[in-house]
Amino acid sequence: MSQMTGASSLVASLEAAGVDVMFGIPGGAILPAYDPIFSSSIRHILVRHEQGAGHAATGYAQVTGRVGVCIATSGPGATNLVTPLADAAMDSVPVVAITGQVPSVAIGTDAFQEADIRGITMPFAKHNYLVTNPADIPRAIAEAFHIASTGRPGPVLVDIAKDALQAITDFQYPTSVNLKGYNPKTVPDNQAILDAAALIAQSSKPVFYVGGGVIKANASKELLELAQLLGAPVVTTLMARGAFPDSHPLHLGMPGMHGTVAAVTALQKSDLLITLGARFDDRVTGKLSTFAQNAKVIHADVDPAEIGKNRFADVAVLGDLKNTISALIPALKAALAKSQPDLSAWLRQMNSLKSTYPLGYDIPTDGSLSPQYVIERIGKISGPHAIVAAGVGQHQMWASQFVSYENPRTWLNSGGLGTMGYAVPAAMGAKVGAPDTTVWAIDGDGCFQMTNQELTTCALNNIPIKVAIINNESLGMVRQWQTLFYEGRYSNTSLESKRVPNFPMLAEAMGCVGLSCERAEDVDATIEKAMSINDQPVVVDFRVHRDAMVWPMVAAGASNDDIKIARETAPDWDSQEL
Amino acid sequence: MAQHTLEVLVENSPGVLARVAGLFSRRAYNIERLSVGPTANPEVSQMDIVVNLEGHALEQVIAQLDKLINVISIKEIVPNQATPAVHDTQPDYQN
Repeated sequence: MSQMTGASSLVASLEAAGVDVMFGIPGGAILPAYDPIFSSSIRHILVRHEQGAGHAATGYAQVTGRVGVCIATSGPGATNLVTPLADAAMDSVPVVAITGQVPSVAIGTDAFQEADIRGITMPFAKHNYLVTNPADIPRAIAEAFHIASTGRPGPVLVDIAKDALQAITDFQYPTSVNLKGYNPKTVPDNQAILDAAALIAQSSKPVFYVGGGVIKANASKELLELAQLLGAPVVTTLMARGAFPDSHPLHLGMPGMHGTVAAVTALQKSDLLITLGARFDDRVTGKLSTFAQNAKVIHADVDPAEIGKNRFADVAVLGDLKNTISALIPALKAALAKSQPDLSAWLRQMNSLKSTYPLGYDIPTDGSLSPQYVIERIGKISGPHAIVAAGVGQHQMWASQFVSYENPRTWLNSGGLGTMGYAVPAAMGAKVGAPDTTVWAIDGDGCFQMTNQELTTCALNNIPIKVAIINNESLGMVRQWQTLFYEGRYSNTSLESKRVPNFPMLAEAMGCVGLSCERAEDVDATIEKAMSINDQPVVVDFRVHRDAMVWPMVAAGASNDDIKIARETAPDWDSQEL
Repeated sequence: MAQHTLEVLVENSPGVLARVAGLFSRRAYNIERLSVGPTANPEVSQMDIVVNLEGHALEQVIAQLDKLINVISIKEIVPNQATPAVHDTQPDYQN
């Protein structure tokens, strides 16, 4: 035990928690903490907006599997963290946010830069703290890291009053954390495993419905073994891209609103959904009452509240997915030894759909650049180990569809909250976490204009990310909906970003290399040029066709049975034996 | 619809009432009646929450309540039953 200020106790606690990097901006209330940060072993990256700090922490966490850390001051510094923390909650990302708070005597007086950030984050944070006693700092930090990183991961906020940072206190980092009300179940019940195995062995149309939980649990290797053992098709949700190799013959692609015909139909026509770390999100199920009506459900998850939330589970398996899948493998072997289902007809049907309705796109007839082609080439040229972070919208769907993901933790996006502006700061955090890996932000021109200020941070801190702006001078996904559902009345979706701003000049102004490309024949050379620059961030303005649309599509609220492969065009179901 | 009473033991920490009330509000569930009082252990308070919920909705409320870090245990008082159903920190949902 040693005597120090609360601020030093905070920084010593963060060091004890194993933090190697944090993203933040100082300000009045958090200022005492920045003095010990100055001499700490922890790398602090000074961002340009607190939202950037939050998404960078998320990107770092998604790539490394470790807890991402961001730090901000009270009031507006803290409220600027609200969006990335809500984002981290929806996508189950382990993040710890540290905020300064006004001195404890001023709390509740509407003091300068006072905001009740604990109250504000209460509805979505996994947990949060307001610390007014300096002696409580080490325990709050230890608990925050424990809560953020165990069970279903999530964001935890620790708000610390300025006087607690300034006071002298005893520092002792707790050796263990014991929370009466928090004890996540990690080992699944044996009976549940046996029930699941028995149900699988009786099924004739099983499908693995794989969610982001498999990546969180680092269970990709186990999943591969399980899927190959059964030989059933696999679909990977938007949050699970990379959990199972895209190139694997059992993989049918992504389900959901913009999923492949094969993946959507596999879920619809299945008699057993083997649900692993997925949550029956509305973007996957479409109209819930018509979703997979003939399927029984095995639901394996670490979060008990997900079981039965949207869909009844015939067999619930609570526990860490790595443990669950590891236990399922021998149990299924035993069950299959007694009765081996014949999945050949089911696989033949799904493979027929996969080959009849592959993902594709039309090349614009006016000679303009196809956005899907650009994204496809970035994936091909960068290879299967590159990390891709997307913003939100059409380019996000195309980046999920047309980049082949072979490895977990190579695909980052804002799946649940749908946060435009996620890509650039998330790519920054990813590059800090994986400095030797190529990191692309595939961004839209709308998204890019929300958070591009972090390119300055990247340029000054030797974080050489690459940014591909898929510039269709529109809020493209909203424009697509206006085309389809609002008679082409394009209310406020034209950004005119082929005129203003000049993206390459903007990039150069922030210390990056700025490139531009608008012809298909220049795409490869431009990507290769970007790949060759590794001492500076690179921004490429890909000026693409404006009216490209994301297909297939299940309209919001519609049944998955009504999937369209192009406008007014449904798959030819009569030619398929289903 | 039958009224169910949840006896919820919570850590006696600032903001815990806001967490519980906020959860009901956010998930669009009604609280019929709520009382909060001390227990023999000064670190633990008891909330008695009466809800007009059954079946799936009731299970969801309990599961979501149980996720609050400050919630230690939840006891469901089932009408006309001598022994209450006790949900510890990890209810086993087999529906």
